[in-house]
Amino acid sequence: MSAPVVETHRLAKTYGLAPVLREVELRLLAGAGAFIVGGNGAGKSTLLRILAGLEAPSDGRALVFGQDTRRLGARYRRRIGVMAHQSFLYPNLTARENLEFYAELYSVADPRASAIQWLDRVGLAGVADTRVRAFSRGMEQRLSAARAMLAEPGLLLLDEPFASLDHDGAEIIEALIRGAVERGASVIATAHAVPEIAGVEFAAYEISRGRIAQQAHQEEVRRGGRLRTLLGR
Amino acid sequence: MAGDSARCWADRTLSGFAAVLRKDLRLELRSGESTLALLALSMLVLVVLVFALDAAHVRSVEVAAGALWVAMVFAGMLGANRALLAERDNGAIRGLLLSPLDPGTLYAAKLAAALIFMLIAEVGAVILMVIFFNLDFDASTARLAPILVLGAIGFSALATLLSAITGRTRSGDMLLPILAVPIFVPALIAGVKASAAALGGAPLASMGDWLRIMIAFDVLFVVAGYLLFEQVVGEN
Repeated sequence: MSAPVVETHRLAKTYGLAPVLREVELRLLAGAGAFIVGGNGAGKSTLLRILAGLEAPSDGRALVFGQDTRRLGARYRRRIGVMAHQSFLYPNLTARENLEFYAELYSVADPRASAIQWLDRVGLAGVADTRVRAFSRGMEQRLSAARAMLAEPGLLLLDEPFASLDHDGAEIIEALIRGAVERGASVIATAHAVPEIAGVEFAAYEISRGRIAQQAHQEEVRRGGRLRTLLGR
Repeated sequence: MAGDSARCWADRTLSGFAAVLRKDLRLELRSGESTLALLALSMLVLVVLVFALDAAHVRSVEVAAGALWVAMVFAGMLGANRALLAERDNGAIRGLLLSPLDPGTLYAAKLAAALIFMLIAEVGAVILMVIFFNLDFDASTARLAPILVLGAIGFSALATLLSAITGRTRSGDMLLPILAVPIFVPALIAGVKASAAALGGAPLASMGDWLRIMIAFDVLFVVAGYLLFEQVVGEN
């Protein structure tokens, strides 16, 4: 049996005196996907930030590829793709320049060709040489997805990947997530409700007041059983 | 095997350094904000000091050296602030911290960008100083070059490190000069003294003590910045 890609033990995070995450237990194997669902302020984004190594837990442990997220070295960071609320893109660079820059940081072979290929995949090839500051929120979101995935990471952490997207944009992101899972990547995404992604089975975790309140396989959600109220589109 | 691994690490580090520096220069070439602001500020400071100090009544090489360094410090603060400002847009600094790029390499690239902007501003400031203080473009002006380069390295190293801290606070723009200038004082005194001696025609060898202070300051803050940048720029 393969080692888990993500594993948390009694993970807790407190800001000042306010607990945001409490005793979170999560386990994700290679090639598996999980949706973390919950309302605003439930702790979803904080959980992803801890898994990405951006924040340290206040208590407990989070392991990614077997490595404590407090000490994620370059070779682990290379294997993690993060899509957050902020796009991490430079408004005064063009879409192609932004992707080329990140491709170079991740040592992607032929950054220019890779950038062009990913722009095509997210439907932005026609605006490759337009500065990002001229992009709509949805276009920026698609470019941010390409930025997170261009190094083909083994773990994708996606914070509300469908926010601000129209139907076509959502389909593009769905296709990218499906493609990532098919090549063996693990995916953890947050959302307010569990979306249906054709051909991909996800586990669903409901997080409430910082705790994993319920968990279910997506099939159970679909059948109308557990987490029914969280079923999305 | 170990040699291959070290070469691979060096290649990645150099590639990451070059990518960040190239990106910063591209952003600057596109907007010209930092360099133009640095040049304008240098000119403003020199004009004010020429009239305020009445250069005719004091030894002009000493006044000129002082005025040049005041302009340099003000311009340097602006340049260092701007070098990290672009990384705050859209949370780009997080994108860099999440990437495999070593934070020390990120610091080195940011320092290199701030240094390039500051050196460009210094060239402009020296030309203005020579004009405003009725000096000549001769060997003594050329002798300023190593002194100003040492000063620019030290100030860029210090200000890049401090701006990573102050940029995270609401009153960061105000906080940077309050922190940077007192720390820079030893190098500032050495720089002014060495510059005045250079403009007065003294050979570089006679400024050995002042130059050694500046070199020590540069080494201290470049190393400190490289080692501490991860702690000051990270979010943990």
